[in-house]
Amino acid sequence: MLLLENIKLALTSIKMNKMRSFLTMLGIIIGISSVISITSIGASAEAVVSKEFESYGMNSMYVYINWQMTQDRPIQYSDLILPEDIEALRARFPQDILYAAPYVTGSSETKVGRIQGRLSMYGVAADYNKFFHMDIVHGRMINQSDLDGKRDRIVIDEKASQHFFNKSNSVGETLTVTINEEIRELTIVGIYRKEASLFDQLDTSDSYTTYIPYPLLQSVDDATSYLELYTNGEKDQNRLGGDITTYLSRIKDKDPEFYRFESAELQMGMINTVLGTLSIAIGAIAAISLVVGGIGIMNIMLVSVTERTREIGIRKSLGARTKDIMTQFLIESMILAGIGGILGTALGIGIASIGMSIAGVAVIIDPFMILLAVGFSAVVGMFFGLYPARKAARLDPIEALRYE
Amino acid sequence: MKEEIIKIENLTKVYENGEISVRALHNVSLTIKQGEFIAIMGASGSGKSTLMNIIGCLDRPTEGNYYLEGIDINEKTDDELSAVRNKKIGFVFQSFNLIPRTSALHNVELPMIYGKVKAAEREAIAQKLLEQVGLSDRAEHMPNELSGGQKQRVAIARALANRPQIILADEPTGNLDSHSSVEIMDLFSRLNREEGNTVIIVTHEREVAEFTDRIITFKDGCIIKDETTGEVA
Repeated sequence: MLLLENIKLALTSIKMNKMRSFLTMLGIIIGISSVISITSIGASAEAVVSKEFESYGMNSMYVYINWQMTQDRPIQYSDLILPEDIEALRARFPQDILYAAPYVTGSSETKVGRIQGRLSMYGVAADYNKFFHMDIVHGRMINQSDLDGKRDRIVIDEKASQHFFNKSNSVGETLTVTINEEIRELTIVGIYRKEASLFDQLDTSDSYTTYIPYPLLQSVDDATSYLELYTNGEKDQNRLGGDITTYLSRIKDKDPEFYRFESAELQMGMINTVLGTLSIAIGAIAAISLVVGGIGIMNIMLVSVTERTREIGIRKSLGARTKDIMTQFLIESMILAGIGGILGTALGIGIASIGMSIAGVAVIIDPFMILLAVGFSAVVGMFFGLYPARKAARLDPIEALRYE
Repeated sequence: MKEEIIKIENLTKVYENGEISVRALHNVSLTIKQGEFIAIMGASGSGKSTLMNIIGCLDRPTEGNYYLEGIDINEKTDDELSAVRNKKIGFVFQSFNLIPRTSALHNVELPMIYGKVKAAEREAIAQKLLEQVGLSDRAEHMPNELSGGQKQRVAIARALANRPQIILADEPTGNLDSHSSVEIMDLFSRLNREEGNTVIIVTHEREVAEFTDRIITFKDGCIIKDETTGEVA
């Protein structure tokens, strides 16, 4: 009963000094809104990153030569990964390596009639699209006979097709490119479609991503220093990567550290760690503003106690106990901070939503964070309200009644 | 013979004010019976307000005993004194001491809030008390919308909220014009006669004191005169 009265009392008192109450809350509002917006942005970014990795293939892995080991000597042919090494790896890990091909890329200007453009070419093996989530809308993907015959084939993006040929389906057309200083006429065998991802937006180059048989791009016969794999997702990627590189080093008669690997999972973990650390660091700075906000509340509550000394005296003469006065002022500061917390949460969600919508990403708001933020602001209010409330409660009623 | 409601024995109050100690009350003994209408008179600094604070359980004596309805006040804790103030004593002050920006009704409800009376009951009682002091149409007014006399009547209604036996009024007419003063004193007389409240009024005005049945005069912390004026012996 008295609690309800105290809440009403606190709300009236806050309403009576609107401007002052708002300014007092401002510290809490800023603190909470920063905490909420930063954690929301962090969570949203993390979700985007994992979605991105999932669409790209969480189980992709690269195996490559540890260049530090070859710093003081020229690279030898035996260092490179050869087709028979790939076969050996597949034979050794039949369940775990689902796709393996040299990772080779190239880039070339091309011209169709008067239309110019740049192509980024990725060398792939057959079945690449089965593992790396590609949507072939016309024609087909690079296949085994393309690889075996080193045929001049290319799979391009629907947008590239529109750009060069002004139609969605340009299967059968040719593109002239330069690979390893050799001019080649590539026949389009397939068109793929891909949703624009965050990474694509970050990619400022205006080149079109295309896929061609990997042998076309290889300069040193069939050897490669960089291997692209798609692995069994049920396996621990780090352990599998270790097993693969160790085995490769052994069959190539190299130092165990001679080959290294990088998995998508490992990269995502690193990005998430960075994002998490960033969130915590900025969150900690925001938390400082909460403390500053708390001090603001304490300051204004002290003013309020002084202003209302006489009222406290009257209340005491009418039978209010020490703890009744204490509760009254504590509840007032908690409500002040609590309202600040709620406003701050709303503002924070607003900032996060606007920020994320500019980035074109769905905002993720953690209800637990909201509860935590509002709860924490009430705790701040309680902590910083404690001293003023004690001061009020301990006033001598006679002195307080005489106060002008 | 009526019951003794207030019994003060050899009461002394000394204020320690830095290095100087001021003796406000010196060896005062006083007995007040239930239903008495008393004025305590004296110049400022005579000790009458100090006595008032002690009777009202706002202050404690330095020496001596104070029994209120037979209860030894010296042995009570601060919170117990709060309860005594809440239930047994109604205060009326010179400067009204209504809580600002709070309606007359809510001001009257205040002692009942601390007395843990339920909201609906509280409001009904407060409304009735305002009616009793002739202010039922001013219930929702804020103190600053009321005249001095009206404020003091709200304060009296508030003093009556928890049906206390004792009404303690400290210069209740000090801030009022003569017309309002008479009204307020009539109200106190009526409460004394009709409701049987023990009314103690602190004043320095003889005309105000004349309304009561017994006048106790203080000087330099001692009772110098205790006269019965009315028909009640």
